[in-house]
Amino acid sequence: MESDEDFMSVASSADDFLDTQASDDESLGEEFGDEFDGGFSKDKDIIATSRKPYEVDFKVLSPDDIDREQNQQINEVSSVLDLPPESSAILLRYGRWNREKLIESYMDHPEKTLEEAGLGTNFQGIPKTQVVPGFVCDICCEDGNDIETYAMRCGHRFCVDCYRHYLGQKIREEGEAARIECPGNGCNMIVDSKSLGLLVTNNLRERYHILLTRTYVDDKENLKWCPAPNCEYAVDCPIKQRDLHRIVPTVQCFCKHHFCFGCTLNDHQPAPCRLVRMWLKKCEDDSETANWISANTKECPRCHSTIEKNGGCNHMTCRKCKHEFCWMCMGLWSEHGTSWYNCSRYEEKSGSEARSAQAKSRASLERYLHYYNRYANHEQSAKLDKDLYLKTEKKMTSLQSQSGLSWIEVQFLDTASQALQQCRQTLKWTYAFAYYLARNNLTEIFEDNQKDLELAVENLSEMFEKPVPELANLKVDILDKTAYCNKRRVILLSDTAENLRNGEWSFNVDW
Amino acid sequence: MSLCINRLTEERKQWRRDHPFGFYAKPHRTPQGVLELKRWECGVPGKAQTLWEGGLFKLDVIFPDEYPTKPPKCKFVPPLFHPNVYPSGTVCLSILNEEEAWKPAITIKQILLGIQDLLNDPNPESPAQADAYNLFKKDRPAYERRVKQVVRENPSL
Repeated sequence: MESDEDFMSVASSADDFLDTQASDDESLGEEFGDEFDGGFSKDKDIIATSRKPYEVDFKVLSPDDIDREQNQQINEVSSVLDLPPESSAILLRYGRWNREKLIESYMDHPEKTLEEAGLGTNFQGIPKTQVVPGFVCDICCEDGNDIETYAMRCGHRFCVDCYRHYLGQKIREEGEAARIECPGNGCNMIVDSKSLGLLVTNNLRERYHILLTRTYVDDKENLKWCPAPNCEYAVDCPIKQRDLHRIVPTVQCFCKHHFCFGCTLNDHQPAPCRLVRMWLKKCEDDSETANWISANTKECPRCHSTIEKNGGCNHMTCRKCKHEFCWMCMGLWSEHGTSWYNCSRYEEKSGSEARSAQAKSRASLERYLHYYNRYANHEQSAKLDKDLYLKTEKKMTSLQSQSGLSWIEVQFLDTASQALQQCRQTLKWTYAFAYYLARNNLTEIFEDNQKDLELAVENLSEMFEKPVPELANLKVDILDKTAYCNKRRVILLSDTAENLRNGEWSFNVDW
Repeated sequence: MSLCINRLTEERKQWRRDHPFGFYAKPHRTPQGVLELKRWECGVPGKAQTLWEGGLFKLDVIFPDEYPTKPPKCKFVPPLFHPNVYPSGTVCLSILNEEEAWKPAITIKQILLGIQDLLNDPNPESPAQADAYNLFKKDRPAYERRVKQVVRENPSL
């Protein structure tokens, strides 16, 4: 199974490169297939060596690209298995586009595979609409000698009107495309694109096509839709789910949206997807309520009722069990004698255990809050980025009019603002990441990097807030600081990504 | 809409020409004597050599305007003691589910035969009422006693 998948990943990445070529010369690409292109992809890797450790290979696909890729695979399977393209398409969808596995299973049990995919084994004759004398439609019960009828290879014949109505219902109302079955009772034959083309109107065919493309992207592990609203591009990236503990695959769509290919959330470098999920869950959970309780309340040492001290003296009497104890040391009150408001018996054994449990949960809450506050602070700043960006635009215009700088010359503000946004996004996630890191030297290096980036960002941010007239004079400074911020970010991300890939980090949780 | 009426008219003709023994199915007639083609009164007999033998169970079958694109709703009146019948009497069966196995070519005859099969062959995967389901799962003798009682209460003519 492992090796199988690996093979597939090689094949599919070779495909990516094949693609640009295939559009010009499709038949040639099919003949030579993967081997021929394997050479090419290697060359490309050598050329693209300037890739940073935290970057991944990916390619953005337009709807047309996706179509082309689909058709190419369909044609390939069609020529290997000697089946019509529309049937190969159904087979491929049934096999979730795992070409090698599909061909193998077809070679081993052709009839069983065809049956299960909903194709049937009869490939004689070309289905077409026809008038059959003495026909009665099982759906509308119309009869007559001039009714146009249609049947797929399964032979279940219905009038064209009913067939059309049925397909319209499936496609438009139910959003179904890849698995529309014959309208006959109990028949599992899938309606193929050729039959559909014969029967439905153009706009329905278009809808059908969109739905098919959707299932194609959903079925393939190396493809994901860009999650930005109204974006119609998909991203092709070879990173597998099982690689996600070693890599954080951030990709950028043509629409400029940065997102993580692993979980499709917004870019969350340097924290890996699993930790991000844990962190987000922790933040939205009220599991922290429990932490608050343990940090701010104490348990009665005898009956374990939860007690919040709301003032006054340290001589506690549990309301439930009437146990008398000292709030400071949790020890028996009777051991205190007359030292009323001051607990002088700090090392008393009866209290030390209760105290240490208390201290532990308090420390854990404080630790969480430390990271959370910083995380939330950068998130807040990131939210203000939109305002900041709008303000920048205004600043740029007023700077142009006030200091006589040209449009090109004020672009540095735009660059600076973008750098700020990106760095804050990164900083935010460094805190979530650090929360799960165990204490060691690597972690200290990480924290130094984090501190450097944060300092750089705050410096730039401060400069950015200066009144407009001063900005023109600060141009060089701002340019420098922007470059520095970006550099610090690259250093931090590269370092983290390399350690992640090599499994160097040690964490305080299992994930 | 006209597809719905045409099909139901034809279904009725076919039913009158030929239908399985012991079943009945006819459009509902309002107190004013008007025929309601989209609401049928049907009867499903228990299969011979099963617990359900000797019973006749009454169903209302209600056809939506989109019939036969969408399936009719089948409801036992009164509600039946059966793991796959909701407390309202509605039958839970894959061929009656638009999202599952419903096909426009399924006829009333096939539906009623399907329901007859379901009586003695409940589907424990989709329980619809707690009462019958729990007895069916946990106390088969008690379940069978209840079924026999239900059969006695709904004797075939």
